[in-house]
Amino acid sequence: MNNSTWEPVIGLEIHVQLKTRSKLFSTAPNRFGDEPNINIGVVCTGQPGSLPVLNKEAVKKAVQFGCAIGAKVEKFSKFDRKSYFYPDSPRNFQITQYDQPIIIGGSVQAVVNGEIKNFSVHRAHIEDDSGMLKHFTGFAGVDYNRAGVPLIEVVSEPCMHSPKDAVAYATAIKSIMEYLDASDCNMDEGSLRFDCNISVRKRGETKLRNKIEIKNMNSFHNMEMALEAEIARQIAIYEKDPHAEIIKGTFRFDLEKKETVMMRLKEEADDYRYFPEPDLPPLVLSDEYIEAIRNSLPELPLQRLHRYMETLHLSDYAANLLILDKELCHYFEEGLAHCSNARNLCNWITVEFVGRLKEQGKTPMSAGIAARHIAELVELIEKGTITGKIAKLVADDMVATIGTSPTEIVQKNPDYQPVSDQGTIEALVDAVLESNPQSIADFKSGKTKAYAFLIGQIMKLCKGKADPAVVNKILTQKLQ
Amino acid sequence: MHTAKETQRRFQDGEISAQDIIKVCLERIEQQDGKVGAFLSLAKERAYKRAVELDKKRKEGKPLGKLAGVPIAIKDNIHIEGELTTCASKFLTNYRAPFSATVVESLEKEDALIVGKTNLDEFAMGSSTETSAFKLTKNPWDLACTPGGSSGGSAAAVAARFVPIAFGSDTGGSIRQPASLTGVVGFKPSYGRVSRYGLVAFGSSLDQIGPFATRVEDVALTMNVVAHHCHKDSTSVTKAPEDYAALLGSPFRGCKIGVPWNFMADLAGDAKDNFLASLEILKKLHCEIVDVDLEILKTSIAVYYILATAEASTNLARFDGIRYGARSLKAKTLDEVYDLSKQEGFGPEVKNRILLGTYVLSSGYQDAYYRHAQKVRTLIIRQFAEAFKQCTAIAMPVSPFPAFPLGSIQDPLQMYLQDIYTIAANLAGLPAISVPSGFNQEGKPWGLQLLGPQLQDGNVLHIAHAFEQVTQYSHQLPPLFAS
Amino acid sequence: MEHDLSEEDIEKLSHLCRIACTPEEKEKLRANLSKILGYVDQLKEIDTTGVPPCNSVLEGMTNPLREDESCDTMSREVFLANAPAHVGGMIRVPPVIKF
Repeated sequence: MNNSTWEPVIGLEIHVQLKTRSKLFSTAPNRFGDEPNINIGVVCTGQPGSLPVLNKEAVKKAVQFGCAIGAKVEKFSKFDRKSYFYPDSPRNFQITQYDQPIIIGGSVQAVVNGEIKNFSVHRAHIEDDSGMLKHFTGFAGVDYNRAGVPLIEVVSEPCMHSPKDAVAYATAIKSIMEYLDASDCNMDEGSLRFDCNISVRKRGETKLRNKIEIKNMNSFHNMEMALEAEIARQIAIYEKDPHAEIIKGTFRFDLEKKETVMMRLKEEADDYRYFPEPDLPPLVLSDEYIEAIRNSLPELPLQRLHRYMETLHLSDYAANLLILDKELCHYFEEGLAHCSNARNLCNWITVEFVGRLKEQGKTPMSAGIAARHIAELVELIEKGTITGKIAKLVADDMVATIGTSPTEIVQKNPDYQPVSDQGTIEALVDAVLESNPQSIADFKSGKTKAYAFLIGQIMKLCKGKADPAVVNKILTQKLQ
Repeated sequence: MHTAKETQRRFQDGEISAQDIIKVCLERIEQQDGKVGAFLSLAKERAYKRAVELDKKRKEGKPLGKLAGVPIAIKDNIHIEGELTTCASKFLTNYRAPFSATVVESLEKEDALIVGKTNLDEFAMGSSTETSAFKLTKNPWDLACTPGGSSGGSAAAVAARFVPIAFGSDTGGSIRQPASLTGVVGFKPSYGRVSRYGLVAFGSSLDQIGPFATRVEDVALTMNVVAHHCHKDSTSVTKAPEDYAALLGSPFRGCKIGVPWNFMADLAGDAKDNFLASLEILKKLHCEIVDVDLEILKTSIAVYYILATAEASTNLARFDGIRYGARSLKAKTLDEVYDLSKQEGFGPEVKNRILLGTYVLSSGYQDAYYRHAQKVRTLIIRQFAEAFKQCTAIAMPVSPFPAFPLGSIQDPLQMYLQDIYTIAANLAGLPAISVPSGFNQEGKPWGLQLLGPQLQDGNVLHIAHAFEQVTQYSHQLPPLFAS
Repeated sequence: MEHDLSEEDIEKLSHLCRIACTPEEKEKLRANLSKILGYVDQLKEIDTTGVPPCNSVLEGMTNPLREDESCDTMSREVFLANAPAHVGGMIRVPPVIKF
């Protein structure tokens, strides 16, 4: 959809659950998926007399994130109480950071329709998650396992102007969090959640019109569809009545109807009565602490992308494929340590092996194939020990018998032994030439396709074991 | 009635067994507390069990703790694991503490024997212990009068000589005022000096747990046990504590004591006479009395009732009948669980304060009330800092009045004005003590208040100790409980 | 010095802090709070221009950081022992409007 009269203005709020051993202010375990109310303590169940104590790992991850997006890490920040009543809130106030958050500003880059775009982050802060409400017939149950889990909330500037922008931005943030090992970013498990704010205005307008909020989307694809639907809805309203005002509210996206549906009006702003958390003194970070974290940041997605394309000469497509899948990328890096040809390694992993395992619903990682074995396979081709064709068969065997190295497989199977003996190959070439006189004639009359045909026949005859370089040399000689 | 120090010595020397100490203590409480109403519950099983263990420990020649064999009472807003913590509220009638307060752990580590939980104003909000949902506590000096509050039960328990030491909490004067009204020593440590972990929070930036005793020496002994850093309380001070008992051992040579006359212009009558008499005694102890400017303290009550209620309104939000506490039996919907449980569970004074606290934080009013009060608090802290440049300690009365009859103060604002001299120490985080300073014509006790700069708790105890040695008012027993 | 709160003000407040009140209770609260706010209004006289708010009583106190280790957990039995109602290991509440 491309409407040049109207400009969508989109902002995202992304909540990321941090991968820490214990919760943010509670020492209870931070674990997903256990029986209800197993991972709890006195702080995260709001027992009277309990007090919050801040987890240093959560602070570290927030600072890492701030450094990764080039933001300002505030040396002085504080926590605030945000009051609201709901059963999943153990104290009926959340401890968050209101007006003095730990991270200010920053930006991420992402590719949208082939061009690199810069998206600005407004701020990021630390806060604790609520428990979970489970709905049944006639009652509801509350589970506090999730209550108190550390969150980083990242708030963007309203700087996205299309659903694709929003997806690119969200993907970039997710990617950074994964690279920092800050979070699992698993949308199904809820360790990454996001809300969109969206308004539409006439292109050229500087003021922002009324916006609505869309919540509870559980994938970036759904978000894209939701935004598209909402943009269309708002444009339709404005086009019907140029003076219309969008009614502010909170919406959800109906997957079946493919439209946004209002859940509640935003009649008046909730009065959260934010005030400084008296149980926590101000958080003060030293320059040394921040610099030490900045200097020990792992290679971030954008830096890695650059390295893949400029130094390793991977294609744009292949490089991005790897960057976006952290596990796969890590696997590739493992193999790279044992391999001299990055492009070929990339191809063998991402096309050949991924392809072979897709049907089984597995990846090379989950199937248990060692990355260095794939690297070994590539090296065998590089050295000319086996041909590319044979390598494909070896790959099949590696998938069938997980754990065996390609070298072992080649050694054990005589059919895979490469043939590079001049004499043997010459005999093969002679045999094929003898049975294909027409092709010789075709070739001599300028039909280059005939050459390829002859190569094919030779390879077929030797079951692909012959060294292609040698075959080419001999065939070329003989055809002269 | 033996002091804590004497009790510990007698036990250690084998003069009396821990079991006998507990037996005598509990018997006295059972016989006499009917008149006073100091206790809400007794932890008999726990006390006897630990007494048996302690006697065994002594028999085996193992080292004994600083408070070995000393019976102690705890205000019922401080947790003892497995025992009820009611905060004197209907809301928590059946709430069993899932953990012990750090203070309780420290006391039991030093072999103290905790015998029960004492009465208080509901959720520590009050100055007379009259808002307790369960019972009234009477002043052992005059059973028609209140013992003060909110730690009235603990003060009365010590005054009636049921226990030599009791713990209370002080947010605006809740240890010092009842101590003064019941003729015992009551100490509020510097903010952050004693862990708040396990104290049901009222005003988080103002609360401190502290001891009542009949001797400053016992307060010092107790402080040596409970004044230390606690990693479960983020507002706990890391600076190492002083050896308070040792400090008391050194002779007191006098010091400069500041008196804020411009703040106390309204002080009159018997209260003023007693205060002036106390100053004379301090002079005899070689103290120089200097005038200091603390006029800003006239705003203390206003600042306090904005900040404390704001914090309390959020601290008490968790009492909603969802996870613990009394859920209204009439509640059918979720909204009713909140609305009705709170309506039924909280008393009127608690509701006053929650609504007031919500108001001063609410949108449109927060700047004018909460933020403004936070700034005035800074001014109060600054003025104290200035005053302490001219003196080592500040002396003030504790209360403008002695013990008042039960039911005689119905107007909440009038009750709040009782705290005029005590609130400032909480706003500035200063250590402050009430030490008995005499009696009025009706035989009701007075108290003298001494304050020190932040974290100078030892110094305050030292001056109080010197005062006590020469006056011995705290040695006097309430006539009804003298046997 | 009175600072008169209206019945509507008390309505709003009691809703914000989720405490139901009878008309008598509301009137008492209205009267008490009006009186106290009237007293508290004296603070308007104090000039606090340029004065920072006191966010931490002890000067120089900063937020201590704790090691990321799990410890001091509470057992579900102990947690549910104080619960007014529970089912299947969860706290039980009346049905909640689902979004």
